[in-house]
Amino acid sequence: MKPSLKHFFDSMGSYLARPGGESLERLYTAHPEWRAPSSRVSIYGDFVRGHVRTALEKLFPLLRGAVGAEAWLALVEDFTLTRPARHHEVNRVGEGFPAFVADAVSSRGLPPYAPALARFEWSDFAVFVSQAEAPAPVERLTPNPTLVVLEQPFRICAWVRARGQGAARGPEAGDELALLWRHPERLVTYYQEATPAALLVLKMAVEGLSASDVATATGMPEADILESVARLSREGLVLAPLA
Amino acid sequence: MVATTYARRHGLSPLGVGIGLRRSFYEELPRTQRTLDWVEIIPENFLSLGGRSQRALDACAERWPVLPHGVGLDIGGPDALDEDYVTGLAALVKRVDAPFFSDHLCYSRLGGVYLHDLLPLPFTEAVVEHVVPRVREVVARVGRPFLLENPSYYANMPGGTLSEADFLRHVVEEADCGLLLDVNNVYVNARNHGYDARSFVDALPLERVVQIHLAGHTTYPDVIIDTHGDRVCDDVWSLYRYVLARTGPVSTLIEWDQDIPSMAAVLDEADLARAALREGAGR
Ligand SMILES: [Fe+2]
Repeated sequence: MKPSLKHFFDSMGSYLARPGGESLERLYTAHPEWRAPSSRVSIYGDFVRGHVRTALEKLFPLLRGAVGAEAWLALVEDFTLTRPARHHEVNRVGEGFPAFVADAVSSRGLPPYAPALARFEWSDFAVFVSQAEAPAPVERLTPNPTLVVLEQPFRICAWVRARGQGAARGPEAGDELALLWRHPERLVTYYQEATPAALLVLKMAVEGLSASDVATATGMPEADILESVARLSREGLVLAPLA
Repeated sequence: MVATTYARRHGLSPLGVGIGLRRSFYEELPRTQRTLDWVEIIPENFLSLGGRSQRALDACAERWPVLPHGVGLDIGGPDALDEDYVTGLAALVKRVDAPFFSDHLCYSRLGGVYLHDLLPLPFTEAVVEHVVPRVREVVARVGRPFLLENPSYYANMPGGTLSEADFLRHVVEEADCGLLLDVNNVYVNARNHGYDARSFVDALPLERVVQIHLAGHTTYPDVIIDTHGDRVCDDVWSLYRYVLARTGPVSTLIEWDQDIPSMAAVLDEADLARAALREGAGR
């Protein structure tokens, strides 16, 4: 690459890393002969910064609402300065956002549940676009390959389900094991708190246990176990062989 | 009329009119009863995302030719080509058996960070020299004909020594690739930079045009932004006819990516383009 071209990219790189009046001035100083109107050049600074913000706003709508407009903008602005866009797929900028939020909770006075909510919203998207495609048909009861399990100190699932109502109050504190997976036919993310029935059916799928094995070992009625398996395979948490 | 030599050399014939497989069309497009000749995809939406996007892609690929049109190749940028991206792109092109693929003559990545924008390059010999081997590398790795699109730009970048048309010509001729002529970009650039759109078209290597883009834009008091957020305007339709009169029929895409009123509205625009193609052919 010619030095003049490297100089061009270096100068654009400094400007686009932190678009603003000062960096724009420095960009023009680096190219004294340049006559392009600065109002046109700054369009690119605004665009580049806007792409990260737009992606985060699509990925984290609940978190954005929960922290409030001003805190949200400051959070996004500072996260953007960490240059999160290291992947060609724009939504990947959200991958590191929950960790950034977790580091920022106390210094910015964010609600204590913000990191868990951020992680939940990222997982919701990650499951939706997971590249683990469900095999069809399966030979035996199989856990949904897109399944993600989140251990969190807030009751996020119930709060997300009831969003819109009582949104002024955040999720209640309390340990929760959240299950998120993509429905194999509808291809949308499903989520629920891990119930004893869900954990049992997942264990059956992972360990290859039959309903009668489980009935014998636990004394639970076999019909109840079969009913749970049928329901959770309709919901796609597990994949069942064709009857 | 110029012989479309690049297309002919590569055995590419005009495919008619296509629209983009956008997220909001994933359910509706594969089932449409409307006339559609081909479908464009943004590879970035399919390379690392599973689920709905893959189902929609497979369903479309069963019905129509699919042409990948990238935004992240970064053909003009200072970073080495993204291994992961180029490998994935090559696999995707083969998977949908695309007759050709395309991206923009711009840069979109600096220091390993994707800027998720199509950023303009200075119109210089140094850039031509930098871009040409990169195009050749991509073509060698993907193994199909490749087109570069003329991007829209709102400011001339510093140090330019070539005219925009000469810059485009040098790159596509020296790299021996095709040209994806975005007619709306020509219109937007001509208005934003005060030049004549038709003279610009006349100065292009039209024998390399293998695909055309048509789109809408947004007019502000001091600049026109290439938003892909509206119908194609009358001036762009007439510039399209002007181009077709010189190139003959060319595969044409309606780009509508923002404020999409409905898929039917996009297909209505595609019908208009198809009528213009027929009208051109009947001349
Ligand atoms: Fe275009």
